[in-house]
Amino acid sequence: MNLPVWQELYESIGPDRFELISVAEDSQGEAAAGKWFDKAKPTFRCIVDPTHRISSLFGWVNVPSGAWIDEEGRIVRSNEGVFPDETTIKFGLGKVRLGNDAFAHATRDWIERGPESDFVWSAEELAAHLKPVDDDALLAEPTFKLALHFESAGDSERALRHFDAAQHLAPDNWNYHRQGWTHKGTVYAALQVLKKSAYLRKNTDKNYYDPMELPGENHRRFTEPEWFWTPAINGLKRLLRRAPSTT
Amino acid sequence: MIVLTSDSTSDIAQRSDDTDRLWVRVDQLKQATGWQLKPEGVCLGEICVPLFEPEREAWIADADDWVWFCYSAFADKIGQQHVRDGDVWSLGSVPEVRRMGLESGLAPDFEMTDRNGDTVRLSDLRGRKVVLFTWASW
Repeated sequence: MNLPVWQELYESIGPDRFELISVAEDSQGEAAAGKWFDKAKPTFRCIVDPTHRISSLFGWVNVPSGAWIDEEGRIVRSNEGVFPDETTIKFGLGKVRLGNDAFAHATRDWIERGPESDFVWSAEELAAHLKPVDDDALLAEPTFKLALHFESAGDSERALRHFDAAQHLAPDNWNYHRQGWTHKGTVYAALQVLKKSAYLRKNTDKNYYDPMELPGENHRRFTEPEWFWTPAINGLKRLLRRAPSTT
Repeated sequence: MIVLTSDSTSDIAQRSDDTDRLWVRVDQLKQATGWQLKPEGVCLGEICVPLFEPEREAWIADADDWVWFCYSAFADKIGQQHVRDGDVWSLGSVPEVRRMGLESGLAPDFEMTDRNGDTVRLSDLRGRKVVLFTWASW
């Protein structure tokens, strides 16, 4: 939740120079996202999107994702993992550090230089970066919407059944997975994220976020979370390494 | 019966003698699906899909004192995915709309209400640069 950093960026670039729109993809709507917006007091536009409509429209499968849209309404860049600075995501007792200020620098450059910016994509580059969408992924979208409908109607059994179906149809869509897992509770969701990311780290070369292809980004593949007792474990390891050999 | 699309939820009438398929009363068709029956075919904005005579005969029917359109059959024709659970039908995105969007390079338009209660329509922001980003609390 780096809304305060976005606010700083918005103010420092200049609100008169661009529109900044923040969209919370939260099936629980204001109840889940409202407090984060309230705390940050952003002056840019804030939308709560309980049906993940914006992600569907732009073909995004994870958060944060973002796009630059020029004065003629054309998408000139679309990326996953658009953190404005280093961000810590907590998974229960563990945490993962993601992102740095590469996207913020690139955004500032595009606002100031427009089409002259080195970071603008051509239509061909944009098309090349779009995720392929097969029939299963197309079916996953209405299946996920069905799950959200039953979740908001309080029918947990049917919501979970359709979340599960959407996740199977679109195994790479982290939004479907994490939103669905959250229905069972944040601790359950955190454990599932660790389990799925550990599996993918060991068995595939897939990324949690696709690289933004920006200079200086610290894009990483699935990373082992840092646990709160990590310093103690590392200290113990050092002691063991220093222990005199008895042989 | 409830019909979900990417941007709407509609509680509409259900044809009593065929609940296996998604029949939509023609006067509720635009509200529920975005499509309209026109002389040139079934239309969504500038897209019109012609209906051939056998389709017209099979997909437009009188029942319960109303005229109905068999939307699930039409969705199959245009490749629009759909899934149902009981009396709730959920419709996927329209492939032709997706294809046209990709070819145009234009950002998909949307109209949503922000937290101040103001309408945000992306196409109203033409002439300004826009940075759009998503996040989530989960």
